[in-house]
Amino acid sequence: MGELSESEDPLYRLVARLTQRGPFVEVLAQATSGLSVRYDSHGSSFQAAPRIRGAVFRAWTRTGWSEAAISGLDAGSLRMVEGMIERTLAHRPAREGPPGVSSTARLETFTTSPRPIQEMGEEEMVMMARDVFGWTQGLPDIRNTHVSISWRQDERLYLNSAGARCLQGVCRVRGSIRPIALENGRAEAEYFVRGGVGGREVLDALTPENARRSAEDARKLLHARAPPSGKRTVLLSPSLTGYFAHESFGHGAEADQFVRDRSYLKPLLGQVVAPEILTIVDNGAYPGAWSQIYCDDEGHPAQRTVLVERGRFVGALHDRESAAAVGALPTGNTRRTDVLSRSFVRMTNTYVEPGDSTFAELVKETRDGVLLESGTSGIEDPLGGLLQVKARKGHLIEKGEVTDLVSSMALSGRVLDFLSAIRGVSGKEDFALDTSSCGKGRTDYLPNSAGGPYLLSTAVVGPA
Amino acid sequence: MSGARPGEAAAFRIGERLVGKEPWEVFGERIRRYEVYLSGGKIEIVRGPIALEGYGIRLFRNREDATGIGYQASNDFSEAGIQQAAGDAERLSRFASFPTARVELPSGRGATGGIVEVLDRGLWEYPSDSLESYVAELQSAFEGRTHCALSFGAVRATLSETSICNSAGLRTGFGHTTVDLELGVKAFGGAEGPAPGEYWVTELHRRLRTTSLRDQADAWCRFAEDARTGRPPPTGEMSVVLPPSVLAGILPDVFRGRLTGSAQLEQVSLLAGSTVGGELATIYDDGRIPWAPMSSPVDDEGVPQRRRTLLDHGVVMDNLYDLLHAGAFEAQSTGNGFRGFQGGSRIWFRFLQPPELATSTIAIDPGHGGTDAELAEAAHDGIWIQQIGWSSPDPLTGAFGGEIRLGYRIRDGKLAEPIRGGTVGGVAVAPEGQPSLMTSLQAIGSHVELSDPISCPPVLVRPLAVAGE
Repeated sequence: MGELSESEDPLYRLVARLTQRGPFVEVLAQATSGLSVRYDSHGSSFQAAPRIRGAVFRAWTRTGWSEAAISGLDAGSLRMVEGMIERTLAHRPAREGPPGVSSTARLETFTTSPRPIQEMGEEEMVMMARDVFGWTQGLPDIRNTHVSISWRQDERLYLNSAGARCLQGVCRVRGSIRPIALENGRAEAEYFVRGGVGGREVLDALTPENARRSAEDARKLLHARAPPSGKRTVLLSPSLTGYFAHESFGHGAEADQFVRDRSYLKPLLGQVVAPEILTIVDNGAYPGAWSQIYCDDEGHPAQRTVLVERGRFVGALHDRESAAAVGALPTGNTRRTDVLSRSFVRMTNTYVEPGDSTFAELVKETRDGVLLESGTSGIEDPLGGLLQVKARKGHLIEKGEVTDLVSSMALSGRVLDFLSAIRGVSGKEDFALDTSSCGKGRTDYLPNSAGGPYLLSTAVVGPA
Repeated sequence: MSGARPGEAAAFRIGERLVGKEPWEVFGERIRRYEVYLSGGKIEIVRGPIALEGYGIRLFRNREDATGIGYQASNDFSEAGIQQAAGDAERLSRFASFPTARVELPSGRGATGGIVEVLDRGLWEYPSDSLESYVAELQSAFEGRTHCALSFGAVRATLSETSICNSAGLRTGFGHTTVDLELGVKAFGGAEGPAPGEYWVTELHRRLRTTSLRDQADAWCRFAEDARTGRPPPTGEMSVVLPPSVLAGILPDVFRGRLTGSAQLEQVSLLAGSTVGGELATIYDDGRIPWAPMSSPVDDEGVPQRRRTLLDHGVVMDNLYDLLHAGAFEAQSTGNGFRGFQGGSRIWFRFLQPPELATSTIAIDPGHGGTDAELAEAAHDGIWIQQIGWSSPDPLTGAFGGEIRLGYRIRDGKLAEPIRGGTVGGVAVAPEGQPSLMTSLQAIGSHVELSDPISCPPVLVRPLAVAGE
């Protein structure tokens, strides 16, 4: 079915041969395809996904894991990598297997859609982008709009010596609109993006209404006031709530940090850390979400993992080793950026579950504070327990009413202080997941999603 | 080309197969990568050599007043693979359009890149041994410390042979090395002391440096210890000292957004001759600084890199161009076409992406502000920022800001208690008549430091908005 089908037999035989020389061997092979178009007032550009295939082999040795990666699945490359692994296993033979649970899963899943994106040719993609561009034109001050439409099929085959076989093809589709407004030398932009696993239906969100609204919002930013500074009551929009979930409990709950003893959350496992209205989840199996996967890169099926349940910190994200270290089971969160990169424990789709309040109730409860909207970035501090999230814009809340538009700002604070100050979470009608990416350190970027509804708390904000 | 056999460079092998497809350009890379990961102070994984060889074919198809650009990357060097990549690029060029009728590919005749120091010879010849001894020295720098240790670490060395050729006759290449260092340094312990604190080290170099690791570890441990006790700053506008490592996260992105051909296309470029900064605001883009990660004899389109003046005493001077934007504005490329940007840094295999217009190394010459202590004295009352969480500047608006991961209060002209938490932010550069970092420069230190994409001294800025308790 996929591009890796013809490579499966040689890979399977290679794993079988290497299994005779060591207790555990696994391989992850990858092939990608895809296309992206960008359209603006100056023209259009296309980029096809690179024609790159490769595989990474991992073997357990006396001194730990040994890895070898190849950028090619031809017979010569496979012979070379087999020789490398054989030599390593001969020099450092292991008597026992690696820590943790080896996957024995057998699954084969490819993204399906009634409207496959792969059937969309270059001409059709550029025409769609041109249409979206056109919807934003004619408004005063809008000088240009960048429209981007892309899809990427990421096919991965995982085999190991315990008998696991996971063949998955995840197709991610994404569309974005970025109108730029300009007045007297001041430039502002708004950003609308929708992405998900699926087909052309993901692009249905690129409507004239959404395009014009983002253009209008860019214009309004030209006249936004400076944001407030200092400690404030803050109401986070769904995208900011997602950044909060991702940076606070997402990274802190990646249990490789537990093993390194660098998570402020580790001693809090099992304890109440927030009001009962807060539940945070990581869910790699969330249908259609941008970071949906079918299995992770150790062959464990994706799953829903509850991190915070009604205010109590109850779970963490694991690979086989971190799970073994704390007596847990793998959670399907082992991910590699590509076959040339190492694996880490990583988030997938991380979000705050909806609560009971309405947006209007939360605004009234805020009374005087600031509504932060359109998250742009965030950064964690797994050991110190600080977080930073940034918003492209916001609105003041005065006397329980949403009032003036304010420009970009950063929010910072201690996660535990922020948690204890949470006073409200809005309902499912406000719930949304974003389309983003996340690195581990300064490299290893992966598709990632976060979200939730509106969330009310207290933090320090300032211009950014 | 260092380390490569003449004629076997990736780009040259592909270029020979593209006869009849002019005009074209091929960017090739042959890469060896070595990685060591530490968990705590112990080695967690040793990876490498990770070998990768690949190329990107770019075709230029003129259509009246525009040019269709087709690009395809591949690691398939078979005849069928090359023809498939070239066919893909040809097909994509039919639907693409860039607003220039002229793309003047460099021929390689006349000016050449010359020699720029970007290759660590010892690392190139003995990569595994070099990396192993560096990691051993790093581990040793933390031995014997009772209240400070590595919590994680990654040392990644990339050995690249870059080759570029085109249908105008260019055939050039060079070898270069990069070393990527990421460390978490943790301070802990003490009787009923505060919670553990961590200081992150993220550095990119052209060579392995081992001479001062113990001294560096002393400083990192001190920062980690200070992170344990730091408190948020007061709220208000105040004097702020920004060191090179902080400016590195702000200025390159903002100058890319405001002083390049792409800014001209968007009509957001700063007007040449306008005054956007004070007397101290003299800023360069310099692609030839020895050992700078962005330095190279030529850019990723084969154009020699140079030193360009962006601001001269606050007055806007040069815009930066790659080949396409130079064509659009009837200018010459300034050697600023670079590949491989992702998430604010550059990935180690760059042939996957076509070039984009970016700054090289942003440089500020030493000023008369003196030592760090003298800068603090000039600030008198304010804060010294050591590290910002992520300043993530907006190239379009010039706005930047983020959480203060570590700083120090300046009281009576001296560094005082540590600061942690709160935010600092503002606008890095703005059109004439609007306030920005460039208009607020009060002093420039006298000692230049290279910090990834920037080479400059610490600078004193007044005022800058700070938010805290």
